[in-house]
Amino acid sequence: MVMDRRNFLTSGALSTAGLMICPHLEQWPDPSRKQEGSGKVAEIDWMSEVKKYRKIDSHAHVSFYEGSAEEQLYFADKLGIEKLMISRPLTSMSQATPDNFKKANDLVMACMKRYPDRFTGMIFFNVAYQKESLQEIDRCVDAGMVGAGELYRQVKINDPRYYPIIEKFIDLKMVIMQHSVVGYSRVRWCPDEPQSGSSIPEDFVDIAKRYPEGIFQYAHIGGGVDWEYACKVLQHSPNVYVGLAGSNNAANMIDFAMQYIGEDRLVFGCDESYYQGVGHLFSARLTDAQRKKIFFDNYNSILKRSGNHVD
Amino acid sequence: MWIDSNAYIGHWPFRKFEYNTLDALLGRMKEFGTDMSIVSSLHGIFYKNPQQANQELYEELRSKSAYSSYFIPWAVINPAYGGWQQDFETCVTKMGMKGIRLYPKYHGYDIESSSCIQLVKMSRDKGLPVAFSLRMVDKRATSWMDLDEEWTLQDVLPIVRAVPDGKFLIVNVANSTALDDQDLALLKRAHLLMDTSGRLPGGGTNVLLCKFDELLSTLGVDKFCFGTHSPIQDYFTGRLRIESIGAHQIDEAGRDRLRSGNIQQLLAS
Repeated sequence: MVMDRRNFLTSGALSTAGLMICPHLEQWPDPSRKQEGSGKVAEIDWMSEVKKYRKIDSHAHVSFYEGSAEEQLYFADKLGIEKLMISRPLTSMSQATPDNFKKANDLVMACMKRYPDRFTGMIFFNVAYQKESLQEIDRCVDAGMVGAGELYRQVKINDPRYYPIIEKFIDLKMVIMQHSVVGYSRVRWCPDEPQSGSSIPEDFVDIAKRYPEGIFQYAHIGGGVDWEYACKVLQHSPNVYVGLAGSNNAANMIDFAMQYIGEDRLVFGCDESYYQGVGHLFSARLTDAQRKKIFFDNYNSILKRSGNHVD
Repeated sequence: MWIDSNAYIGHWPFRKFEYNTLDALLGRMKEFGTDMSIVSSLHGIFYKNPQQANQELYEELRSKSAYSSYFIPWAVINPAYGGWQQDFETCVTKMGMKGIRLYPKYHGYDIESSSCIQLVKMSRDKGLPVAFSLRMVDKRATSWMDLDEEWTLQDVLPIVRAVPDGKFLIVNVANSTALDDQDLALLKRAHLLMDTSGRLPGGGTNVLLCKFDELLSTLGVDKFCFGTHSPIQDYFTGRLRIESIGAHQIDEAGRDRLRSGNIQQLLAS
């Protein structure tokens, strides 16, 4: 038998000696909540709440293993995510050769073809191979991909080798999403993070200042960076959007980001951590309009600049 | 009925938390429809003598009569610190604590140490569950002064093996749940719950994806319970993992077990 709260309190299960757990029920149900019938607290239909917002996942991935695309859509369907901006980053320098980044982008194109209404492709390349990267951008844009990312830690985003790439994306009116360092809060660098190529928040500030017409997406404050540090540093870079994706659903992260970055520059994303990506936006102190902006409108306005927005 | 099996009040040395008082937590509970919460002291983890924090929690709970309708207190005990046996007795018999929170990594002892095993056996003899957290915070984003190691599910199983008839709650299951056949059998036999606050990943090719649905199938609905890990993690994600389970995956009775039935059973003497 599953007990209700009143039965549970009076069942004796909690009423051993010492602090007696007594049924002081006079404040229950909370009078501020909507009532249903006699004294029963109205249940909120949370899944209807979750699904009522249109959502663009600005940070999604597909992988080379069988069923990867469908696995992403399984979670997206559950949580009402309409569009996923997919990429296949290669995380090491040795892997990220032109042959391999073409294969990664081919995978993304194949997934786009299979699910054209759900997946939109983002281009991965390694700027250490600048000429090949520029060629790959042309190939991928021709195939319908709409931005760069998730670019990884092969080359810092403010490295001069990036300049012609950024200028190309300015012409295309498309966003560049770049991974940022994890573990930087520890002063000493995370062993997995090559210092030569990992972008820190200050690198984003630097490049955004050099190219004020560029559109940058900082990935990602839930992804293992010290998010307080990142938000404080990125506060005054109006052309840097801040992605909320990642597995770290620290309480108050969104509220803190709202304070420093504001509702117009935050973009919803999951980075495959779907429950956290959606969940923390409902835990945060947001108005309906703010939630709508972050889930959908802000990223759609980025897409609109290149005519690739969702109707 | 929803019972949050994993909430705290108090402070954390490396970051400001909100909703970390009983009143603030109660506000969250009412906002999201949580009926009751298991609470323990957060800063008690960092007191050399955590009994002081248990005393603080006890006094706070007694400061308003209504609190006893909403909160189920658990004690933080350090079995490597002098006088812990007396602390345990005081917490259970005088303060009415209904479970024990243990922090081997923060308190610097081995989970298989003799005093830890002794404490778990004492808890078992009183019918009390014992909780371990695979991590308190994400090590990647925490302070340079904090722990730089997290546990996987496998790391807590030695204590289950040592006290197989104990009652266990494993919270914030954020890392690999991969187990070999022997450990899987041990986990299935044990009176053990995992809360839904952690990422609940599998152990396969993609550790980012939550495998809660698969784990429900392989381990059974009787192994899980609702938890928030509040105020450290956001208040809603642990609930969303349960809310979003499809009707074809679990019936209403199973859903009730996740909301509160399983944790009620663990708490029952």
